[in-house]
Amino acid sequence: MHLLLELLLMPLVAFIVGLAMVLMLRKIAARLQRRIGPPFLQPVYDIVKLYSKETQISHGLIHEMGIVMAVGGYIAAETLLPVPGMRGLADMGGIVTLTYLLMVPSLGMALGVGQCANPNGSIGISRALTAMLAYDVPFILVVFGVAWVHGTTNLAEIIEIQQQGGVQTWGLVQMPLLALAGLMTLPAMMGKQPFEIYVAPAEIATGPMVEMGGKFMGGLFVMQCFQLYTVGVLYTTLFLGGGENWPVFLLKVFAVVAIPMSAALMFPRYRTEDMLRLMWKWPVLIALLGLVMVMT
Amino acid sequence: MLDTLLLLSLFSAGFAILAGNRSMSGWVLTLLYGAQLAALLSMSSLGYISDGGTTIIESSYTFTLLGFSLHWQFDGLSWFFALIVIMAALLSNWFASGEWSQRYREQGGSLRMFYSALALNVLSMLILLASGDFLSLFIGWEFVSWASFLMMALGSDKAARYAMRYLVYAFAGAMAVLGGMALVYVQAGSLEFQALREAVPGMSASSLWVLVLLFASGFGVKMALIPFHLWQAKAYAQTLGPGAAFLGAISSRMGLFAMILVLVKVIGISQLTRLQLVFPFFNARDLLAWLAVLTLIFATFTALRQHDARRLLAWHGIGQGGYMLLGIMIADDLGSAGGLMHVFNHATYQAVLFMTVTAVIHRTGTADLNKLGGLVARMPLSFFAMLIGIIGLAGLPPMNGFVSKWLIYRSLILDGSPMLFLAAVAGTLGTILSVYKLIHNMFLGQLRVEYEKLDEAPWSMMFPMMILSVIIFVTGYFPGLVLDWVNAAQSVAGLPVLEHTLGGVASDKGGLNMIWIVSILLFGFAVGTLILFSGGRSRRVHQLDNYAGGHFLTADTRYQYSDNFYPGLMHLIGPLYRKSFRWAERGLLSSVDSAALFMQGLYRQTQPVAYLLAVLVLSMYWILV
Repeated sequence: MHLLLELLLMPLVAFIVGLAMVLMLRKIAARLQRRIGPPFLQPVYDIVKLYSKETQISHGLIHEMGIVMAVGGYIAAETLLPVPGMRGLADMGGIVTLTYLLMVPSLGMALGVGQCANPNGSIGISRALTAMLAYDVPFILVVFGVAWVHGTTNLAEIIEIQQQGGVQTWGLVQMPLLALAGLMTLPAMMGKQPFEIYVAPAEIATGPMVEMGGKFMGGLFVMQCFQLYTVGVLYTTLFLGGGENWPVFLLKVFAVVAIPMSAALMFPRYRTEDMLRLMWKWPVLIALLGLVMVMT
Repeated sequence: MLDTLLLLSLFSAGFAILAGNRSMSGWVLTLLYGAQLAALLSMSSLGYISDGGTTIIESSYTFTLLGFSLHWQFDGLSWFFALIVIMAALLSNWFASGEWSQRYREQGGSLRMFYSALALNVLSMLILLASGDFLSLFIGWEFVSWASFLMMALGSDKAARYAMRYLVYAFAGAMAVLGGMALVYVQAGSLEFQALREAVPGMSASSLWVLVLLFASGFGVKMALIPFHLWQAKAYAQTLGPGAAFLGAISSRMGLFAMILVLVKVIGISQLTRLQLVFPFFNARDLLAWLAVLTLIFATFTALRQHDARRLLAWHGIGQGGYMLLGIMIADDLGSAGGLMHVFNHATYQAVLFMTVTAVIHRTGTADLNKLGGLVARMPLSFFAMLIGIIGLAGLPPMNGFVSKWLIYRSLILDGSPMLFLAAVAGTLGTILSVYKLIHNMFLGQLRVEYEKLDEAPWSMMFPMMILSVIIFVTGYFPGLVLDWVNAAQSVAGLPVLEHTLGGVASDKGGLNMIWIVSILLFGFAVGTLILFSGGRSRRVHQLDNYAGGHFLTADTRYQYSDNFYPGLMHLIGPLYRKSFRWAERGLLSSVDSAALFMQGLYRQTQPVAYLLAVLVLSMYWILV
């Protein structure tokens, strides 16, 4: 019973925190451009607006199913990510399972966009999948290093080990190079600037979103909230010892999302092949060095 | 009981040869495969470990040939592979029995040949799987090679050409196996498995190296292991659809079976690690693991470039074989279970993928990924079958492919092999890219005008596809079902046996429980559906009612993105595709050609002057020195 409650609460919390993250990123971007930025509840307004629109255009069953997969996949994935006081399904599948479960929403989105029969969308998906290939290569090395150092793939145990040993056993201190490599892949995993060539509004008319409107767009918005939250929590879990309690946990998670994104916002958009080159060069090199450091 | 199975299989082959052309014979043969499956299931005690040991069922047929006794037997390993063989044959034959066979006959194909080829493949595979000594292994091996040649050669002229190419490779492989057997006989004095097992610890490292390399390359040809991989993709792609589903599902795995039998069961992993290569951290086991990984990477990224659906799938078949060998070469309980389980999983999704592609060819007449698109509107069930298949192939939850790959990843992490792990994951990522392209270009995007009045695939095709889809999902939901059989196979092969639960692996170092994972995923989808329906009512629009940058779309406007699907990636890695293996193959071919010409010149005496000169020079040398 307790577990069932957790399974309901974990995605809900993820969604709310994700909304706050969207707001935070918009605020940061605004401040960097010397704007004021949107009001506090703007992400909520956006979602309510999108879901309650009168014109809802569907391109067929797979279009709808794709959005369901995109949102549903993340809802499932959040239950594998332990947060303070809630372990969820962390014992049922560790970090490898989570990594692969996170590809289900991407596949869902890709299917939904494909059904829309708009080449702009398909081009966007082609770029998004290539981007996934780009950032997953260094990321998987980071995952390997963390799992090897702690001798487990169970995320809850990785957190416990770090919390019992104190700050000196945090991944950040124990494997700084891997942590750096992970940090460099974060903006790409979040799919935000400067790695949003798959959206490219002026060139391919917002790519995957080109035929999305109303609740379909809303679904993608919800997915984005989950995405930001997942990436932030995952990094916090692997390198910052998870959260001892909620305030500390949230502080860490927001910092993890804010810091690399503030830096990344300064860069112009990368082309797909440049992104591949970037991701396969520096983060991979640093991660390999980090692996050499922790494995010898 | 093994006798019943072999006799039934022989009877099916005989029936196919005698009565294969009758209109009902496809269904009769399907029933006969069902009977074989029943006979196999009556031996199901082989598939489970009972009281700590596994049983062996001997066949009562034995022959003595030139003083060698030949015998056949089934154990947990052969039972596991035989189950896949018969299931694949049953469903492929069912798939072929309905409209497909009518169409094939109308086009002038010989159904007798097709059914016989399938039945002979099954018979020969069963004989190979039952082999009890090196001689029966070799005989079975030859049967399998010839039977699959028969199947491959059936299609068009092109198919015959690629099948001939396979034959060259298969001959080379068989020669390597024969050489290995000769070495076994010299070293062990007998062709019994037990004799070699006892002789191996006393063998010198160099002769063991030769033995391992001979067997690995001989069986590697069938598996299309690098560098013997060139024949397979084209040959399978040209094979008749249901035949390709069968061959793609299981045929290449015979090489894996033989490799497990000889290298793991008889010679043993510990002996492989004894063989150090030049530098001390690299032994024969690592060599095979790296070959497996290279096969995986090369084949997967070659598949990414294909624009013929069948060829794409065939290349993936080669790549997935790499996972299996990799898992077995890690040789711990997790890895080898993953490798063996992947044989089963691969058979299920590869069969369903080839079947879907065949169904699409049946309706549209093409498998060219640049000429299809949008078929989901006309063939939704085939789309779902393919979707389940590609999720399995890509190894994502909730399908069965994920479980076997997870086992392999997990053991690579425990084993501390980051580069193998990276390569294994990169292979999966490449697969995801490639299968999305497959399903997108066939079923998603714009529906062409000429396909607007298409029907769903006929039921005779749909049923086997659906059965396979259900198997893929259920064995992903409850992987313990398959892991039971895998355990028996592991224990027969002398590998450590994996402790498992119905849902996967319980471990204090991070386990996996697919029952929970799949349930939560289904729960997530349910919530996602609720969220979607909480929004306003949606309206369906026609596919031409789309954003086109201000232009109007008409039915004759091609509004589809299909060719060169990943330009950004190809921009970077495109120059790496150099066709080096093709180049090497041609080089080898032409040098064999010239050697043959030279020899021909010698014995036909076209240049007697050259002979004279050679004799003169030699005799002068002899006199003077």
